Amino acid sequence: MDMKTYTTDVVVIGGGGAACRAAIEVSEKGLNSMMLDKGRPGRSGATPCALWSIQAPFGPRGRDQRDTPEQYFEDMVKAGRFIGDQNIAEIVAFTACDRILDMEKYGVHFKKYDDGRFFQTPMPGQTYPRSCFMIENGQHMSTVLAKEVSRRDNIQVLKDFFVFDLLKNGDVVVGVIGMDLLTGELVAVNAKSTVMATGGYTSLWGFSDNPPTLTGDGVAMAYLAGADIVDLEFNQYYGTDVIWPPSVKGAVVLYELMIDEFADGEITDKDGNIIIEKPLPIRDEAIKIIFETIKAGKGTPHGGVYFDTTLSPKGEDAVRDVFKNMTPKHYKFLIDAAGIDLAKEPLEVAPASHYQCGGIYINGRGQATVEGLYACGECAGNFQGANRLAGSALCDTQTTGAHVGGCSADDAKNRDMLPADKSNLNEKKELVNMFLSKKNKSTRPLFIKEEILKTMDQHMAPFRNEKGMEKGLSLIQSLSEQLENIQVPEIKRYNFELEEALEARLMVDAAKITFGSAMFRKESRGHHNREDYPDTDNKNWRCHTIVKQVDGKPQYSKRDVIYTRMKPQD
Amino acid sequence: MAKDKIKAKIQRYDPEKDQKPYFQEYVVEIDRELTVHELLTKIHKNYDGTLAYRAYKCFKGMCTTCIVKLDGKTVRSCATRVEPGSEITIEPAGGGALIRDLVVDFKKM
Repeated sequence: MDMKTYTTDVVVIGGGGAACRAAIEVSEKGLNSMMLDKGRPGRSGATPCALWSIQAPFGPRGRDQRDTPEQYFEDMVKAGRFIGDQNIAEIVAFTACDRILDMEKYGVHFKKYDDGRFFQTPMPGQTYPRSCFMIENGQHMSTVLAKEVSRRDNIQVLKDFFVFDLLKNGDVVVGVIGMDLLTGELVAVNAKSTVMATGGYTSLWGFSDNPPTLTGDGVAMAYLAGADIVDLEFNQYYGTDVIWPPSVKGAVVLYELMIDEFADGEITDKDGNIIIEKPLPIRDEAIKIIFETIKAGKGTPHGGVYFDTTLSPKGEDAVRDVFKNMTPKHYKFLIDAAGIDLAKEPLEVAPASHYQCGGIYINGRGQATVEGLYACGECAGNFQGANRLAGSALCDTQTTGAHVGGCSADDAKNRDMLPADKSNLNEKKELVNMFLSKKNKSTRPLFIKEEILKTMDQHMAPFRNEKGMEKGLSLIQSLSEQLENIQVPEIKRYNFELEEALEARLMVDAAKITFGSAMFRKESRGHHNREDYPDTDNKNWRCHTIVKQVDGKPQYSKRDVIYTRMKPQD
Repeated sequence: MAKDKIKAKIQRYDPEKDQKPYFQEYVVEIDRELTVHELLTKIHKNYDGTLAYRAYKCFKGMCTTCIVKLDGKTVRSCATRVEPGSEITIEPAGGGALIRDLVVDFKKM
């Protein structure tokens, strides 16, 4: 296979909010960068799926003058159950407002009061209403950021470009290797700094409300390159995602919309009993209530609970107006794709995989533990802790994206361009040949992917135990042995099955270390609930779980959480 | 067409080997109404792994990554339903250069 090589100062992997913001910051610093997007720019990753909510403590410039960055920081630390690193949480809380003003400058439309203050909605876990309101939701944010990227001459974007491994020179990461899906070419990008902004990997689970492309490439590649990975057991489930009908399975309907300021409906069991009381709990608590309802045999016919707005005292028309104003695209999508009118009928919903709180371990400048590698946004791991507040994900893409993008550029100014080791490069090329070569007993990558998703759904649900996880891990091990049987057709252009094969290779590693991390942490906290260790154990487990590859095997250890402004009181 | 089937004529084209685009017919067994996107996913999985289409979905029918022409009209495949028993034609949409089958090179954002 032929190979093309590019050289640039900073290479950013991803195409969502964090990747765009990181590339913009590199551009601001006057350096060249390349952004490698697995899909269509402005329309890929999880950012387009997001709704209106992006947190920033505007205080007097927003809805409640009492709000401050200090308060945001405190809310975030508490929601994260005290295992988010506070040096990074500070960056999020204290730069959020500036980054939102950047977004406004780029062209994102925010709802404002007549006097110019930011309109903000209250969400569970926010001491004061803090979620700024993006009128056209995440899709517009994503498009606007991608346009800002495209306006800058010193950022080159490769679209439909799948990065499948990092390149190294000795112990230093020096860029990436990937496949241009449109042409079928193999491409190496050599860079002084490599920024991972690949998002989470919630679609490693079958029941997910994220795009199917989010399979864990970034975390797996960083792991394989020798970086420390952190807290993977805290994959956040979201409580109310559509479980039926199948044509819209995974579409998110926000339980946060059930407060009296909005739809004022209820989450109920199969008999119409209200199960979530108001004020609404934060997310890890909400999913526990829903799971317990289903477990107790009070679930709906397809194994969920009801998202029921017909119980709202406001009446159908007023409820419809809420959806039309706040989440117009989601509302219409359910009508178009399934004939469901959210204002008119109860909908069956259940907890689905939503956000990975863990990921690549970074320091206060976004550096991973391997020289040359950085991470920002959802794929960075150690600042959310065990749980995430509503409205934090988008905020993190901008705050950590800008901060880490900037640091990666500053470092690139002082770093030499090192070529990838020849042997390293050949090894990666060989991977592609392995999947293309003829086999006696062959399998399709799709089948392996489906088995991984099924295994995660079954054995890595938010309620888990040693026995189930051992079974899950052994299933994943046997799938990893089947990788060498994958055979994909020799097609040059848009060889989707080849992409899936390369994805599957990374997915088995992401799955393996997620199981390992969850087995390592012998307590329950946030989104990690061990049936065999149901209590939170602050004495032994108020710490990070670290996994690192040593001699080809995962090695697990604990690491202290960094506390700056707020130490746990006990 | 029987109520448990959908007949889909889909445009195929690989510029590396085909002179010009042609149509291939798939008779897909179904047990319920589905979206065009679900139908394409089913064909790719159970009938023909070489069919190129865009699998991305944003869950709100907005990203338009999955657009195709259904019976000549551009639709969002994730948000458009096909009735059991129908006979349909699916072609690429979006206006960019044809890469393969239903996948085009989206030029614009």
